[in-house]
Amino acid sequence: MALDPRDFPVEEHALDNGLQIRLLPDRALPVATLYSFFRVGSRNEQPGITGISHLFEHMMFNGSRKYGPKEFDRRLEAAGGSSNAYTSSDMTAYHEDFASEALPLVLDLESDRMAALAINDESLRQEREVVKEERRFRTDNDIDGMMDEQMGALAFLAHPYRWPVVGWMSDLNRITRTDCERYFKTYYAPNNCTLVLVGDFESKDALAQIERLYGPIPRGAALPEVATGEPVQKGERRAIIHFPAQAPSLLVGFRTPAASDPGCLALDLVETALGAGEGARLRKALVYEQELCVDANLYFSWRVDPGLMQVSLKLNPGVEPARAEEALYKELQKMVDEPLTPAELQRAKNLVRAGLLRGLSTCNGRAHTIGQMEVMLGSWRELLGLADRYSALTADDLQRAAAATFAPHRRNVVTLLPGEQPEGAEA
Amino acid sequence: MSARDFQLPPLELAELQGGLSLLAIQRRGLPLFHARLSLPAGARFDPQGKAGLANFVSDLLQRGTRRRSADEVNALIEGMGAGLGVDCSMDELALTLTVPAELKAEALDALLEVALTPAFAADEVASARRRTLSALQSDLDEPGTLASRALINVAFGRAHPYGHPIHGYSREVEGFTAADVEGFHAARYQRKGALLAVVSSDEPAALAAFARAALANWDASWPAAAAAREEAPFPPLESSATPLSALVIHKADSTQAQVRIVSPGIAKGTARYAEAVVANSALGGGFTSLLVDAIRVDRGLSYSVSSRLLMYRHAGLSIFSSFTKNETLRTLIDVALEKMRGYAEAGPSLDSLEKARTYLAGLFPLGLESHEALAEQVSDALLDGVGLDHLRKYRSRVISVTPEQALAAARDLSPARPGARLVIVGDAEVAQKALGDLCPVEVRQLESLA
Repeated sequence: MALDPRDFPVEEHALDNGLQIRLLPDRALPVATLYSFFRVGSRNEQPGITGISHLFEHMMFNGSRKYGPKEFDRRLEAAGGSSNAYTSSDMTAYHEDFASEALPLVLDLESDRMAALAINDESLRQEREVVKEERRFRTDNDIDGMMDEQMGALAFLAHPYRWPVVGWMSDLNRITRTDCERYFKTYYAPNNCTLVLVGDFESKDALAQIERLYGPIPRGAALPEVATGEPVQKGERRAIIHFPAQAPSLLVGFRTPAASDPGCLALDLVETALGAGEGARLRKALVYEQELCVDANLYFSWRVDPGLMQVSLKLNPGVEPARAEEALYKELQKMVDEPLTPAELQRAKNLVRAGLLRGLSTCNGRAHTIGQMEVMLGSWRELLGLADRYSALTADDLQRAAAATFAPHRRNVVTLLPGEQPEGAEA
Repeated sequence: MSARDFQLPPLELAELQGGLSLLAIQRRGLPLFHARLSLPAGARFDPQGKAGLANFVSDLLQRGTRRRSADEVNALIEGMGAGLGVDCSMDELALTLTVPAELKAEALDALLEVALTPAFAADEVASARRRTLSALQSDLDEPGTLASRALINVAFGRAHPYGHPIHGYSREVEGFTAADVEGFHAARYQRKGALLAVVSSDEPAALAAFARAALANWDASWPAAAAAREEAPFPPLESSATPLSALVIHKADSTQAQVRIVSPGIAKGTARYAEAVVANSALGGGFTSLLVDAIRVDRGLSYSVSSRLLMYRHAGLSIFSSFTKNETLRTLIDVALEKMRGYAEAGPSLDSLEKARTYLAGLFPLGLESHEALAEQVSDALLDGVGLDHLRKYRSRVISVTPEQALAAARDLSPARPGARLVIVGDAEVAQKALGDLCPVEVRQLESLA
């Protein structure tokens, strides 16, 4: 079932300075969501300033020309709104959910920081400490986080996906105000941004406000090229982490194509068949039948450049990692050797379709989906036919995608073993 | 901003045979159907010595019914593109399912089958026991989870119905039997006190009629008069005589410590709800609250800091949460205590009071946007006994909170008032050194929480 464009009347506009605008009015509730998607993430960084995209996301809340430090959220919350942001390897997204009458203020706040962000040494010092705490929380003291970081460094040799979005601790200490100012000038120009507004507003009024506030912001220079070269993987790679834990954990990553590759849709269904829900193949085999692990999860998300599909296994205490690995590879090979049954294929398609629909049930969800489509696939219109494209895939398509992905020589394996580091290991 | 009352979508509410409530809500827009069955089967009903049983039973619902194996149950539900939501909280068990609208009959039937006729096969019970024990052990690797488990214990006390973690303790889970599971299901998955909410684009009357017809098929499996045990009265939470006391859970090799400061709070249905929520929002609820400003923005001590009101139906807690690197543990605690004690004396400034009120009122409709959120909020308002006006008049109630009311709530509900408990999860040696002579300290190994 395709989405009917009449039920999804997105308006497309662009300003002379390159700012892309997508508007979707919905008067059902007196609320709205604004997303600002910037095409910059950790893939745009270089060694020595890893983590600057994410650190910069924090800096965006520390004052601009018109609104001083702490004013962004203070004004927004006082008008019945809230804000947040996230940084990935490919993009940085800022969003506000708010009572619809606060729209003029929200646009003023967002356009002012795009026009003239204030960056000073004091706010950089404070945010640097906050981000280092975030790193300690999500990575240094978190098993999944430390394994994910190790996986990036193992699976990618040359591509910027090699370093974590939060950045290496030593780089976080090194980033300067000049680095931040250069980053802002380069990546936070209107021609690198897509604005998505969904909710309770009049399109004509909203567009007029956007033109008035964003129109004077000058277009930025062309973006620097990203060093995306990555040699072909010629064999399995392995890494071991020693850490005090109750049981071993495994993270196995396989190289996958970029989001623009049509093969990603088949991989979405492979991910769903193997990893989504109680009846997923991996959960059934490894958690319920063989009782090897507490949880078996599969992650595959679209990325601008070729990325990874990852399987995460949190083993039951006493289970040898080698045994769990063997069982995992057997299940993955089954995906390669045998087609899904018609019921399994339909299950995967229905789960993906329902997930798409649920993602569109809130203003925030619709705005996020529209922006993601713009950044990843070049147009929100890709969304309209997406369900039909999933529907057209066959069991053969999925088998081919699995065969291309789960080859042993494309495997990257991170094992976490409980216990202290071996004696003599560097602290 | 204006404080318009919130207009709920068209709905119909009926009480059916045996005390079951039926709620049909119309939500136009996406072609989805959502069902939510709330049952009086939360963790507060865990029998003495069987902490975690309510959650354990809920985990087993999908592992086979009298008609279908676990694989068949999963194929049925996930074949519709849905996932069964199983949320065991302290007061309730909620089972949820969202499907494309054309599958509403199959979906509601599946939900009722899973809830009312689980098989509880002996091998599935044994397997679930092993899985739960592994998961509980694995939880010991999660500093935030450890802090939550410790906090519940020290704040409510072990004997209180809310005084144990929802997932229970390994030492008690080990003893769970098929008879325990069947007994709990028979006693608690009853019509009385249960509520079925359905949401779709249909007119409420038609939607209610559809649900009634679907329920009629399950009359025989759902006796109207299950024997309900009377609950013991809820003991009041006792304040400690010590102004501040600390519990440190030792987690080796931590470079960061989790910090909680907790005092008794309020139950959900309390008349002071609005002022309590506003006062908490100004203290540590929003991104520009006093605590976020002092700890994150001004000092860079933590990535995350908040105060919150954990409100159950019969009791609640007022909780400060944050984390920081080992080197700044004492600084964070000192700043948090100073700010919270100052706030308890002075209350919010007029500016921050105004901001908290408009912030809460403005964002309120967002919490009712999706089918799922709508069913949850309306169901909870009914089950908590606060009625639909709790939702309709939320914005005007919040907007009309006075400075005096906010000050009283700030004073009476401060997480740091005398008798507060401090919970730290991290390296015990670091924590003890940091705390120095601040307060009496008890150190436990993390295995004590298993």
